[in-house]
Amino acid sequence: MSTTLFRTIQPNQFSLFGSTLLRWRRSSNFSVRCCGSQTTTTTQKIKQPSQSRIAPKNHGSNKLDEILRDYEAVIGIETHVQLSTLTKAFCNCPNSYGSHPNTSICPVCMGLPGALPVLNSKVVEFGVRLGLALNCDLSLKSKFDRKQYFYPDLPKGYQISQFDIPIASGGFVDVDIPLEFGGGHRRFGITRVHMEEDAGKLLHSDTGDYSQVDLNRAGVPLLEIVSEPDMRTGIEAAEYASEMQRIVRYLGVSNGNMQEGSLRCDVNISIRPIGQTEFGTKVEIKNLNAFSAVSRAIDFEISRQALLHNQGQADQIVTETRLWEEGAQKTVTMRKKEGLADYRYFPEPDLPEVILTQEYVDSIRASLPELPEAKRRRYEAMGLGMQDVLFLANDVSVAEYFEAVIGKGADVKSAANWIMSDIAAYLKNEELSINDAKLTPQELAELIAAIKDGTISGKIGKQILFELLAKGGTVQGMIKAKDLVQITDPAEIEKMVLKVVSENPKQLEQYRSGKTKLEGYFAGQVMKMSKGKANPALLNKILQEKLNAKD
Amino acid sequence: MATRAFLAVISSSPNRCFITPRMIKNQASAFSSSSSSSALQFQRHSRKPHRISRSFSSETNSSVLQPPDISSLAKTARISLTPAEIEEYEPKIRQVIDWFGQLQQVDVNSVEPAIRADMEGGNLREDAPETFENRDSIRASIPSFDEAYLKVPKVLNKE
Ligand SMILES: [Zn+2]
Repeated sequence: MSTTLFRTIQPNQFSLFGSTLLRWRRSSNFSVRCCGSQTTTTTQKIKQPSQSRIAPKNHGSNKLDEILRDYEAVIGIETHVQLSTLTKAFCNCPNSYGSHPNTSICPVCMGLPGALPVLNSKVVEFGVRLGLALNCDLSLKSKFDRKQYFYPDLPKGYQISQFDIPIASGGFVDVDIPLEFGGGHRRFGITRVHMEEDAGKLLHSDTGDYSQVDLNRAGVPLLEIVSEPDMRTGIEAAEYASEMQRIVRYLGVSNGNMQEGSLRCDVNISIRPIGQTEFGTKVEIKNLNAFSAVSRAIDFEISRQALLHNQGQADQIVTETRLWEEGAQKTVTMRKKEGLADYRYFPEPDLPEVILTQEYVDSIRASLPELPEAKRRRYEAMGLGMQDVLFLANDVSVAEYFEAVIGKGADVKSAANWIMSDIAAYLKNEELSINDAKLTPQELAELIAAIKDGTISGKIGKQILFELLAKGGTVQGMIKAKDLVQITDPAEIEKMVLKVVSENPKQLEQYRSGKTKLEGYFAGQVMKMSKGKANPALLNKILQEKLNAKD
Repeated sequence: MATRAFLAVISSSPNRCFITPRMIKNQASAFSSSSSSSALQFQRHSRKPHRISRSFSSETNSSVLQPPDISSLAKTARISLTPAEIEEYEPKIRQVIDWFGQLQQVDVNSVEPAIRADMEGGNLREDAPETFENRDSIRASIPSFDEAYLKVPKVLNKE
């Protein structure tokens, strides 16, 4: 069986296969299935990635490599974003994660007879914001539909969703692939964005023959984003998913938290022999609650399906939903699908159509923040390297902090370096966000300036940084209080150099007899005597003069 | 309980309607009934063509609709029917479907599609939380609790 083969392969190797060995190909037309309906969509014209994008790595003559070389994966993602509104989608119940179970309920979200839904205006606003951010066309008139299915987490027996006329459709998103995964810029099509309500939360007890339901989440607003099947590797899919998280966070429509389930990704994946235009059998993967899981599950699934193909068992790839098991690092069958589920969609009779005016759309467009992609391109134009760009633009709070620092006149590269290295390390260690840092952008700019103009040394700068991060205060205040001003007076440095040289006659002799490495020892002693305040360049210059002086 | 299945069938039209056979006759004669198979395909007023697909599982472009499969309808509505009931309902539901067959013969090519029944749009709500006062009576009507959770039979597969 193929499973024995899998056991010998480490999961991290899968991501290598996925990112390096699956070739990038595309055709101009895709037929996609979404929500049970057949829609034909033309994908966005995208930039063809340059040939040198990813050079296939040489893993020797690994059999699996050979297999994977002959197939490409076709990946589409459905992303559910839970909106950070104060109330549910169609009733006034508070939308609050973590409340006591079954307390945020009312006749509307419990589906009691006679209760009527009324749409939350924020849901429409967030839908428009996200639709615009994803470069979609908006439907000035859209509507809600009922999607019927029976399940204990769905009190009404149907979910209010949007079926044939979503609020937004036909967009795209641009992402940058991190350098460690080959780098490059990609554009992925967005089929549609639609508004819908969440179901309740179902908990399965390990023991006992029953399940538990919490209906606090029933009726909470969601935006579902359906991508075109434009992704080819686990890395691309994970990057797409992280861009969705960045975008919803930049827009302030959701906290995008995957662990809490505020951002849920379902992946559709099929593989086909390279050159084949028809899609292979599509498998859905659920239970992906981290970006690394998205990437690894896909790479696992590509390998699994490629092996089946290669063993002449392609017929064992069936339409099914598989679950990602994080512990075992594999996907397992959750349920096989017997044809498409019939949700018997029909227009929601209790809700009027959703009408947007052009003025409303324009006002929201005008209020959109700078989005991650625009920010990355702007940072790149400032001369920052891609690693810096991706780090700074990843988190909107970090980006704002960085921009506040350079807004105070700080050197761009220095600001980026301080934030990415010492500040990031400190915050990570203390488990703080940049908003909690006691060091204000103003003071970081002061610190960078003080080092640049030679008032303090870089070493002292670092000490001050950690004090300011922990306690707050000002750079100038700390320099004065601790007498940290850099010593730049050559006479004063010379005095210290002479003292150190005369106190270490043995080392001096060794130095003069050729052990020039000892210069570092002398420099260290002088720096220590100056309490770290001696200007390093001056110190080295004077030290060399004295060490090499013929007396 | 069986009404739910009927409702789902009736409501499957793009425009929800409760229409009597008489009304349909009037409508059908008001428009010339030179039907075309495109009667169900609307062009949305947007830059991109957008096909509105029907939610009938037995979708067909011909004006003759498939006869109803009462057993499968009952299954999707989670109701059990006796063979006698199936026999009783079959002609009734077939009649409903036939009405839609007539509707489909209407040529609506020149008519702007109404995506919803005639209702005032823009009826939106402020995003202001309000706790429903009488939650206790809702909870009191729930048959089985396990601590704070509703207790339901174990279910693992959603479909
Ligand atoms: Zn409610």
